Amino acid sequence: MASVLASAHPQETVYGQVGDATVPLRFSSLDEEYKVLRERAAVLDLGGHGLIEITGPDAVAFAQRVLARDVEYLTSDRCMMTLLLDADGQVVDQVLAFGREDGILLESSCGAGARLLAHLRANNDEGVEITDRSGDLTVLGLEGPYAWGVVGRLIDAELASLPFESVVDTTWNGADVVFARTGFTGEYGYQMIVPVEHAADLWRQSLEHAQAAGQEALELAMLEVRQPIPRHEVTEGATVVEIGANWLVDVTKDEFVGREAVLAAFEAGGGRRTVGFSGGEGVPAPGTRVWVNGQDIGEVVHAVHSVGLGATLGLARVDHDLAAAGLELTVGGTEVTTLTSPYIVPKSWSIPII
Amino acid sequence: MTIDELRARAAERQQTCSQIKKMIVSRLDLEIDPDWITDDQPLFGRGLELDSLDVLELYVAIEAEFGVALYDSEMAVFGSVSRLAEEVNPALRASA
Repeated sequence: MASVLASAHPQETVYGQVGDATVPLRFSSLDEEYKVLRERAAVLDLGGHGLIEITGPDAVAFAQRVLARDVEYLTSDRCMMTLLLDADGQVVDQVLAFGREDGILLESSCGAGARLLAHLRANNDEGVEITDRSGDLTVLGLEGPYAWGVVGRLIDAELASLPFESVVDTTWNGADVVFARTGFTGEYGYQMIVPVEHAADLWRQSLEHAQAAGQEALELAMLEVRQPIPRHEVTEGATVVEIGANWLVDVTKDEFVGREAVLAAFEAGGGRRTVGFSGGEGVPAPGTRVWVNGQDIGEVVHAVHSVGLGATLGLARVDHDLAAAGLELTVGGTEVTTLTSPYIVPKSWSIPII
Repeated sequence: MTIDELRARAAERQQTCSQIKKMIVSRLDLEIDPDWITDDQPLFGRGLELDSLDVLELYVAIEAEFGVALYDSEMAVFGSVSRLAEEVNPALRASA
């Protein structure tokens, strides 16, 4: 699935396949786009995120059963991030759930729309209506320490200071927009869900106040604040607890698909946990072994070169009693140090919205 | 450093993190097992979703439990449980 904004992207845009979506990896250079995201304001083409609407009398009951957090009272002015699990407690996807007057709208992680849709349809015991809206709606994001200023110039200054995970139905140039305060990178973040026929205009208008950043810069900034990136972190057989995505699961909720398996893994203890690391030479591939004095204690899950740190930054899944910051481990043949999250402190944490 | 020495160092951090998690759950009346909170979990906005009133409660609780005043600290100290652990137990920072 190509981005509906492809014709509005610059000619030099580099694309890549992420799951079922062809997404812009970078528009110019990773370094430049990363700096825009961390220091000013970036516009994101989030068209690789699938949008699936759940409606019908039992829509909320269905969503409550398949989502791992409590959405029973998710009103149309709120959204929340959560997981969908299978019966074995394995992560199917990480979604943003938007409360809607007539049900729930789910936004998949990048490239996971088709898998999410198939999972929802396979679990539709309630007979709700499940509609793929990815063909007629798309998502644009704004992230950065001054993204709030772009919101003010683009739509309405009052929307900039919405509380986190608040949603407003508004209009832009006559088009209906679902506007939300969200964020993946620790910076001020917003999302706009718009009809595809208005997306290119909104994209161009946004670029008058901010600069485009691609998937590479976005995922790097997500990793730096330990925001889970399912396509990298959800590995075969890894539990929610091993991934460290506990905060996306509400274990006080009575029932949801995968709950028993998640609780069993938690109560069993032991196993592995995920910890960040930096240092070493080069960027180790996923699966690279992690050692202590010749003893295999785990493996690399995901690693990149961090522009902010000027060094390799990665996640390793290691024995639970060695999953802590401040330890020197060996990855491949090189020494690394485990880190305390966040690995980069977002500038937005010290910049007020004015 | 041997693997046992590394385990001991990890255990020291995990113990401070565990103390902080218990304090958060107790002071804020959360209905979760403290161990459900991960060391890397963000505390504000996403993550544990604490708000500014919760911060005030935590300032008081941290001073009472650890004897450390964080009132003038930047928000970054609440970036994660593990980050907060380094504030209340500076020995961890020295080894990080």
